[in-house]
Amino acid sequence: MNAPDRYERFVVPEGTKKVSYERDTKIVNAASFTVEREDHTVGNILRMQLHRDPNVLFAGYKLPHPLQYKIIVRIHTTSQSSPTQAYTQAINDLDKELEYLKQAFEDEKNRYEERMKQGF
Amino acid sequence: MPKKGTKSKKKEVDDVPNQQENKLPDYLELQRTRVVCNDDAPIYVHTFICHSSLMAFHLLIMITFITLALHMFPCEIVCLVCLIYCLAYKLNFTYMHRYFYIKRLIDYITEYNSRLPTLGTFAAMGVDNSVSVEKFCKNFKIEINRLTEDDMEFDMIGIDASIANAFRRILIAEVPTMAIEKVFMVDNTSVIADEVLSHRLGLIPPLDADPRLFDYISVKSSELEWLPEGSQLSMSAPAHSGDKQKTFTSFSQSQKEILEKPLGVKFKDITIARLGPGQAIEFEAHAVKGVGKVHAKWSPVATAWYRMLPEVVILEEIKGAQAEELVKKCPVNVFDIEDLGNGGKRAVVAKPRACTLCRECIRPEESEESTEGASEAQESSAPWKQIELRRVRDHFIFTIESTGSLRPEVLFTEAVKILEEKCERVISELS
Repeated sequence: MNAPDRYERFVVPEGTKKVSYERDTKIVNAASFTVEREDHTVGNILRMQLHRDPNVLFAGYKLPHPLQYKIIVRIHTTSQSSPTQAYTQAINDLDKELEYLKQAFEDEKNRYEERMKQGF
Repeated sequence: MPKKGTKSKKKEVDDVPNQQENKLPDYLELQRTRVVCNDDAPIYVHTFICHSSLMAFHLLIMITFITLALHMFPCEIVCLVCLIYCLAYKLNFTYMHRYFYIKRLIDYITEYNSRLPTLGTFAAMGVDNSVSVEKFCKNFKIEINRLTEDDMEFDMIGIDASIANAFRRILIAEVPTMAIEKVFMVDNTSVIADEVLSHRLGLIPPLDADPRLFDYISVKSSELEWLPEGSQLSMSAPAHSGDKQKTFTSFSQSQKEILEKPLGVKFKDITIARLGPGQAIEFEAHAVKGVGKVHAKWSPVATAWYRMLPEVVILEEIKGAQAEELVKKCPVNVFDIEDLGNGGKRAVVAKPRACTLCRECIRPEESEESTEGASEAQESSAPWKQIELRRVRDHFIFTIESTGSLRPEVLFTEAVKILEEKCERVISELS
């Protein structure tokens, strides 16, 4: 009865931004990003990519509540980089990797079809 | 005691700069790349814990302080503070040793700091664990094992578990398909209630229509469509019980021109309802594009799953009768007998990929055998330590079973595109 509509899981309502940013007042080079209407699919990947960055000291994500559809990503970096920089760098790297993955899959598919044709 | 303390100090400080080859010790390499399975499933993944004595604890504190302080204070002042620390905690060095060792520590740490951007975990051992995009592209491989019209099995080597899981989640919930959403009942005299019938119609596996040619309807479904050709109900197709349902609506332009083949259902033998004599069902159904997140009827896969490649390693040789027993134990025939020259037999791993990790081969024997005698028990529990079951951390065997609306390889390509779109949407507009 109180459950939100299912489309709320991925439709960002009018007026709210998709990503918002809060600097941590007590620690330098630390920030939390709140991403609306996302879940573990993107959160875990982002966290994994951030861990691979040697400038990032701390990276983690959480879903504050399973019925509130947003994730909070918290990043601490060294003084050599800033959280926003680490975040955008991580996503750009992910984009490149996925592009490469798609290309590799297409190539392998074509190779497999060639092999099947020759197998007969 | 002071001499012992200084000697161990010397070893610790001396050893660390020497271990700068690019290889981890074997047991650490094993922990980094494999998940070990024991017979008490499920097993947690061990984290790297180190034990430290009191001396090493003080050393740790000093190292941390030195690392942080070197950014701001010159070397000599840091040295002085460390000396004061040693005095305060009455650490047993002589004066000369203190100075030299601390200076050495500082030299080592400055060198380490300059190399810091290139190292990650295992940095103290000199092993480069950072993964850049180039490294990923070099190590990544895909191999397709089996590709039919309905299902596909392929291997992805070199990616992380979170990406594999993201693909699985997207394949199940976020690749769009078409399924029946609205049903207009004209006549239903069967024993099945209207709403139950509509529910069943919705769950018919996603229709044989390519969802990429369609657009979503508006989420807020209060839109009224103008029907230029009058009432639609008079054009509804009669429904046969159990046979295929052909559904269509009339638009200003017939959809026949957009689609290459007529809309239909892929599996023609699904029973929707059973009718008795004199009963009839007549309805018109509208199919709508949606994603699995909203309702499971829009999920394009029967299921999609992945597993890590199993690795079966025989640590010591298993010969003779034990080998025969082992081969019989395994339900999927992972092991095989290899005949040695002089009549002896040896067990070898023939098909590690087929292993389902049921752990039958490493399970200790049941109590009925062990009550027979101590020697029997020992014999039966011995072989099972000779086999080690592992899973390779970055090799995933993906299986996708499609319900028919799209071919499985097309589904996977769509899933990759959707993940890319998600990543783009998540980029902040701030910077």
